[in-house]
Amino acid sequence: MRRFGQVTGAVWWRATHTFLTNPQFLLPSIMFPLFFFTAFAGGLSSLGDVPGFDFPSGYTAFQFCFVLLQASAFGGVFTGFGIASDFENGFARRLMLGAPNRTAILVGYLLTALTRAAIVLCVVTIVALLGGMAFDGGPLDVFGMLALAVIVSLAATLFAAGVALRARTIQAGPAMQMPVFLALFLAPVYVPLDLLSGWVQTVARFNPVTPLMEATRAFVSGGDADIALAAPVAAGLVLLFAAWALRGLRRAEAAGG
Amino acid sequence: MTSDDNGIEVGGLVRDFKKGPRAVDGIDLSVAPGEIYGFLGPNGAGKSTTVLMLTTLLPPTDGTARVAGHDIRREGARVRAAIGVALQEAALDPLLTGREHMRLQTALQGVPRRERAARGDELLTRMGLADAAGRRVGGYSGGMKRRLDLALALVHRPRVLFLDEPTTGLDPSSRSELWREVARLAREDGVTVFLTTQYLEEADVLADRVGIIEAGRLVAEGAPETLKAQIGRPALEVVPRDALQRDALAEVLERFGSAAAAPPHAAAVRLSRGNDALADVVRALDAAGIAIADFQLHAPSLDDVFLAKTGKQLVSGEEPDEQAPADRVTEPVAS
Repeated sequence: MRRFGQVTGAVWWRATHTFLTNPQFLLPSIMFPLFFFTAFAGGLSSLGDVPGFDFPSGYTAFQFCFVLLQASAFGGVFTGFGIASDFENGFARRLMLGAPNRTAILVGYLLTALTRAAIVLCVVTIVALLGGMAFDGGPLDVFGMLALAVIVSLAATLFAAGVALRARTIQAGPAMQMPVFLALFLAPVYVPLDLLSGWVQTVARFNPVTPLMEATRAFVSGGDADIALAAPVAAGLVLLFAAWALRGLRRAEAAGG
Repeated sequence: MTSDDNGIEVGGLVRDFKKGPRAVDGIDLSVAPGEIYGFLGPNGAGKSTTVLMLTTLLPPTDGTARVAGHDIRREGARVRAAIGVALQEAALDPLLTGREHMRLQTALQGVPRRERAARGDELLTRMGLADAAGRRVGGYSGGMKRRLDLALALVHRPRVLFLDEPTTGLDPSSRSELWREVARLAREDGVTVFLTTQYLEEADVLADRVGIIEAGRLVAEGAPETLKAQIGRPALEVVPRDALQRDALAEVLERFGSAAAAPPHAAAVRLSRGNDALADVVRALDAAGIAIADFQLHAPSLDDVFLAKTGKQLVSGEEPDEQAPADRVTEPVAS
């Protein structure tokens, strides 16, 4: 167990150190969510006046919830890019050779994604609050909101890691990014689910991201989050993609790293 | 073999790939503790695949192997704890400094926290990288990267060291430095070294024993001097003053032994009577009216061993470049 922790810590340290000391990685991770937040919350704010838009904390808070989950998910996708790059340039073999239990490498990458997400979310939250966003929830709601962000980050990282461990090339980037992008944007991004119509509403209704986003919005507004739906969906996504990533790791091991 | 052994025992090791020929085809070999074993062969012969299997990076299709007393299939973690590995392409992060690499590697290998910095600095100094320790590796030369890779392979004081073509792409000076360090590790620290190379000189200089691999099979094995002695006879290479007399020259030489590989403008013979035939060769050439521009007597080399064992010549002795040619095997001029 001690060696497991040492390997996990080493993988986490290296990826986080690289992330924090290289502006080419750090800045886009922060700028993209801020851009989305500014563009959506600012440019589309009149959507909050549409009849039937009943989110009590206002449109800025409504969009903040999307950006929160989007930043969490994309932190995972970018971590997947890093895994694929490590395999492509051979660095992963160094990690494989140093790890008694190679699952520790995967856990290290997961911690990296969570750290990245935490840094980005801090910045986005501070900017949102400075920009006048209303947060009507209590301390428990803050915890619930952060827990959902962590779960989305974990699920996205595990999904992207599974792709990266199978493809072992950065050329698999679109295969990591596109499904996450589609899942996020086919949820109720701009307006509540009830205001969507046609096939978009049908897809959004069955999209597993939708209950997570609605629960996040409920936490921010201090409303009643549908935990009975969001919790099993969140757990299911993490378990499903954990199995996907672990099988990917076994495949990478069988292929020689 | 006990778990305290530093040796390597391989039996019938096989590796198949789905879309390709059998990369390793039933290799048996044994490396004694503290020995430097040179694994010699051209690109694509199966050297690197063998190393990947012995270092637990690639599962074998069949066969058995024990490294440092541990089974590579069932005791992968113990094997990894006992070995140090520097693979063909130095696995370095261009965005980390040399010292940061040491920090990462010491943590990965479980070196106690209080010893990590000192161990890293010690190895960086030993490899001549102390001055560059704070620089990002992306700015290192090829030789510096190789030395750093070797330093990283040593952080946990491995009992067995695998070096996969460690000097490919290095200039002669860097090669010599690396050879000295590898030799020191084996002689002074008792580390067993399994070294793959496509450079005959490297195997000749460094290895206590050499295994020659061709198309996934071990075709010869032994001490370099023993292998050369098996070939036994020296080769005489003669350059005629008149290039048009090359064929006539070759005819005369063949009276004294079997033809050997030679450059296009020359002819060569492996003297069946050894050096005793030299005077007779000169007299025969004189009698045939063939003027000689140059002639050289070559003692048997590993190149000759390779030629004798595989029927091919392993090009060697040229300046290695960063991108090694895909095919270093050439058919002999004459056989």
